[in-house]
Amino acid sequence: MENIKIRSRVNGKDIESEVEPRKLLVHYIREDLGLTGTHVGCDTSNCGACTVLVDGKAVKSCTMLAVQADGREITTIEGLSRQGKLHPIQEAFLEKHGLQCGYCTSGMIMTSFWLLRKNRNPTEEEIRKNLSGNLCRCTGYQSIVDSITYASKLMRAHETEKEGIMVEQ
Amino acid sequence: MSSYFTRAKDDLAYNERVFVEGKGHFVDDIIKPGALHMSIVRSPYARAKILSIKGGMSSKDLGARMASVGEGAMEGKNSVIQPVFATGYVNYVGEAVAAVFADDRYKSEDMLDSVEVEYEPMKPVVSIEEALSSPPIHQGLRSNIISEGWRGKEFPDPASPIVLEDVFMNRRIATNPIEPRGIVADYDGKMLNVWISTQSVHSIKEGLCEALGLGPDSVRVMQADTGGAFGSKGGLYPEYVIASYAAMKYHRPVKWIETRMEHLSSTSHGRGAKGIVKIFAERSGRITGLKGEVIVDAGAYGAGMGEFASRFIATMMTGPYMIENAHVKSTSVLTNKVTLGPYRGAGRPEASFFIERMVDKLADELKVDPVDLRIINSSESKFRSPLGMEIDAARPFLDQAVKELDYRRKAKSTKNIGFSFFVLVPAFAPGETARVRVDGGKVSVWVGGNSHGQAHEVFVRKLVNEELGVPENLVTLYRGDTGMLKDGVGAWGSRSAMVGGAAVISACRKLKEEVTMKFGKYSVQSMLSGAFDVYVNEEQKGSLNSFGANLATVDIGKLGSVKVRECAAYYDVGRALNMDMVIGQIQGGMAQGIGQTLHEEMAFNEDGQLLTASISDAGVPLAEDIPNFEVKVAQNPSYLPHGAKGLGESPTIGVPTALARAIEKASGKRIRETPIRPEHIL
Amino acid sequence: MNPPSFEYFAPRRIEEAFDILAKHDGEAKILAGGQSLIPLLKLRLTSIPYVVDISRIEDMNYIRESHNELRVGALTTIDDLENSASIRGKYPIIFDAASNIADPLVRNRGTIGGNISHGDPSNDMPAVMLALGAKFTIASARGERVADADGFFIDAFTTALEYGEILREITLPERGAHEAGCYIKNKKTAGDFSVAGIAVQIRFDNSGVIEKAGIGMTSVSPKPIRARKAENYLKGRKIGESVIREASRLVVSESNPSTDFYGTVEFKKQVLAKITEDAIYMASDRAEEN
Repeated sequence: MENIKIRSRVNGKDIESEVEPRKLLVHYIREDLGLTGTHVGCDTSNCGACTVLVDGKAVKSCTMLAVQADGREITTIEGLSRQGKLHPIQEAFLEKHGLQCGYCTSGMIMTSFWLLRKNRNPTEEEIRKNLSGNLCRCTGYQSIVDSITYASKLMRAHETEKEGIMVEQ
Repeated sequence: MSSYFTRAKDDLAYNERVFVEGKGHFVDDIIKPGALHMSIVRSPYARAKILSIKGGMSSKDLGARMASVGEGAMEGKNSVIQPVFATGYVNYVGEAVAAVFADDRYKSEDMLDSVEVEYEPMKPVVSIEEALSSPPIHQGLRSNIISEGWRGKEFPDPASPIVLEDVFMNRRIATNPIEPRGIVADYDGKMLNVWISTQSVHSIKEGLCEALGLGPDSVRVMQADTGGAFGSKGGLYPEYVIASYAAMKYHRPVKWIETRMEHLSSTSHGRGAKGIVKIFAERSGRITGLKGEVIVDAGAYGAGMGEFASRFIATMMTGPYMIENAHVKSTSVLTNKVTLGPYRGAGRPEASFFIERMVDKLADELKVDPVDLRIINSSESKFRSPLGMEIDAARPFLDQAVKELDYRRKAKSTKNIGFSFFVLVPAFAPGETARVRVDGGKVSVWVGGNSHGQAHEVFVRKLVNEELGVPENLVTLYRGDTGMLKDGVGAWGSRSAMVGGAAVISACRKLKEEVTMKFGKYSVQSMLSGAFDVYVNEEQKGSLNSFGANLATVDIGKLGSVKVRECAAYYDVGRALNMDMVIGQIQGGMAQGIGQTLHEEMAFNEDGQLLTASISDAGVPLAEDIPNFEVKVAQNPSYLPHGAKGLGESPTIGVPTALARAIEKASGKRIRETPIRPEHIL
Repeated sequence: MNPPSFEYFAPRRIEEAFDILAKHDGEAKILAGGQSLIPLLKLRLTSIPYVVDISRIEDMNYIRESHNELRVGALTTIDDLENSASIRGKYPIIFDAASNIADPLVRNRGTIGGNISHGDPSNDMPAVMLALGAKFTIASARGERVADADGFFIDAFTTALEYGEILREITLPERGAHEAGCYIKNKKTAGDFSVAGIAVQIRFDNSGVIEKAGIGMTSVSPKPIRARKAENYLKGRKIGESVIREASRLVVSESNPSTDFYGTVEFKKQVLAKITEDAIYMASDRAEEN
């Protein structure tokens, strides 16, 4: 089977590869690119441990072929921190203990990133509904919901700070 | 973006640091150059004779030592151990029949097609009733009963005005951690090195040594970051032996990563217990006697918990209550399903379900408040139950629980309410090991039980700080490694903080003595300036009680859908070594309790085929299925040096029974089994 | 778990797609969002030697108003449907269905064309299309044809799409002044598969009499079907408790669910009856608001 050339931007870096058409995006990310923060947890597109951003949208990388990522921008968990500093969502997950074993965490964080982009201040109900593609077995979700709520608060405070308005955190 | 993060990252415990950045080291993240990927050919039949196998590695390739005792009785027992590969017969859908190896995971899956297996299907035994009435599924056995016994003492039926009977079922569930099982095995000619997702490197090492005929100095088992386990990653499985054997045969590293479908069919299930209970009671509400039977669906082999579970459940059938007389029969039966294994609670939730449902039934019979009935049957002093449990005075805790959970007020405002009370007896014995090493100004710790989400490092750091005065950020708890800690037990049965913590304290105290001996007196600075290496095997012989209570309220929709409104817990944790950890553990367990009660089942049809085909079908709850929890803890210290008691399994014990009662009240339908389907309550 | 080998094509023009399909006569499968096809490939249940990815073809991803009709490109994602103000305002029945498909991550990739043409009886859009009386513009090397939703769904995983044809556009018909719809999906848990789904679209005249009703069912028959008896019964009647109950009874009589992991026949019929009643109420409430 012939390999297909693909060119995509992964975590801000332009990458050219040759892949088998059947290779799932999640395996391309983990094996070809060595970015093992994205995980595989099921085989029926239910668990969301594989969630990444493709052109800014949160998708299940196990339900996408690497060849479909040609020409697209991919962001994985490794792409969130900047120069060793954590993104507010990552900080929030630490602060509110939104993880235990850590296996679902990157998926949860990537979905949160997308959710908070489209909805700056989601209600608890909206958060829970938007997590229907991400399973967690350890936490019972409450600390994850708290983390996302806190992240939303941090990010909104950032924005107002940027605008030069002093806001209490 | 400016950061609000003010605490230096180095100060964080490992699990806090790495996972939010995707820097974990799970077993599938381990890349070994030249590694082979292994895929397993599995039986599509629940029961069949194997007529021929063409291709792949199978039973005939393993050599006489490891070949199965599959179709023969275990010495002295009416039981059969699980063979590495199915030999002669397959006994459950998903049983390993052969293995193939290739350079990558896609090719190894392709290679599955190259193996041809001819089967002659046989009639499988699927239900407990079939198991009891059918010929044994293995040749050479007398029946499908692999263990049978009695707990307590026979007693004549009391002349009680109230006699109530009922039959209950907790259906089989898969543990479904989000990370499935996996192993990497590598042999360098002398040493078999194994990396694995596990709860106990020591248990795996013992199993591999025995199966492969290797001495303890030839095997090193190292824990990878483990993405949850809940009981299913404690012991040996055929795939671990096969991968290790292949690594030794091919002189190449071998990696095997379980698919979710394999997890559903071939990783041990939990629950799977039937309870038949008869209670005798006075009009006052005092239960004077209990007679019963527990039958456990043990699966196809006498491995796992199956044999033990029925006896274990039977021992706990009187719950925390002071019931004078009890006699319970315990039976474990073989069925053509994957073996039964521990799943968070491992028998305790089942026993609690059986007794709590009877107490609620008695309350309805007497038309009294179910909590008042529990109070009447709780003792003010320590006692030994007729079934063999040592139970502390329950009454003080129960009175407090009623207050803390605000039961009286809530029961007035809604009838759709359930309350449960239980005693958790954690898996204390035989103790645990710990090693504490001081080197280069840092403290390294290894503990026999391996954390798989419970963040043991957090409490280990705290204990080392308390005992030795070492700043927490200088303490590291390493993942399990038999090369660094020569023996140990494992992390399960709500024991880690208790026995692991006790071992760490013991090691610290031993270390302190050594430092004092060396320097004349103890100071943190002198210790950190030196080099020390201390090992302890802290035996535990006694037993411990952790009391707990849950409260739940529900609403039921017109189509039988259940909305859990309130779900509250009050547990005695002895001492909360880290409150965030404690609350996290409880919340997670409560979600699993809801899962078992409302959503989860490994369902089989009459041919022993799994109807549950995905993790979604299996019923693992989503965020929108779960409410916010109310969690309160009591801290009545245990006699252990740190004061901690068992914790992890309390929620899975207490939630299903409280929820079942709330649903019963809301629907008007008697609840006898989990999961509760909408059809049951319409 | 992982797909078997196949050859992959990603044409940028629809004519290219036709050529590739023709060249691999009968053996090529169309890939759009992949949320149905990739899980199927991973299960390795059928052999698919050629995959034609049509997602790069231009001008198939849009929601356009044109003479009171709404035209939706087949590659419009479910997420875009969910977020579209004109969809939510004019055809809330589509919003209902879109927001209940799988989960948000799947909706970010899945397409309306895929959800219609895959033919899984538990896909949600077919019932909605039946209820709306939508029209499908189908393109092939031979040109274009327009097919009604009614008659498009032939059997499980079989639609009226011939090999070599590509669903290009969905036309949602003009809405009456007092017309609205509702889609309700009853799921086993919050997970993917539905026990039953019902799509109800009702057009009232000025006096509140039902002029036209469209009802489509999901998951309660081997293929998505219309409840014609119920539709005909509603015509000429006004909404009322007994009317709704009878309509719901007729819907159930036209369904053909089977007992499986998700429920018994009896339970599924109970569910269908209830959600039909609720959907009819909601549709008429929404029509009133218009």
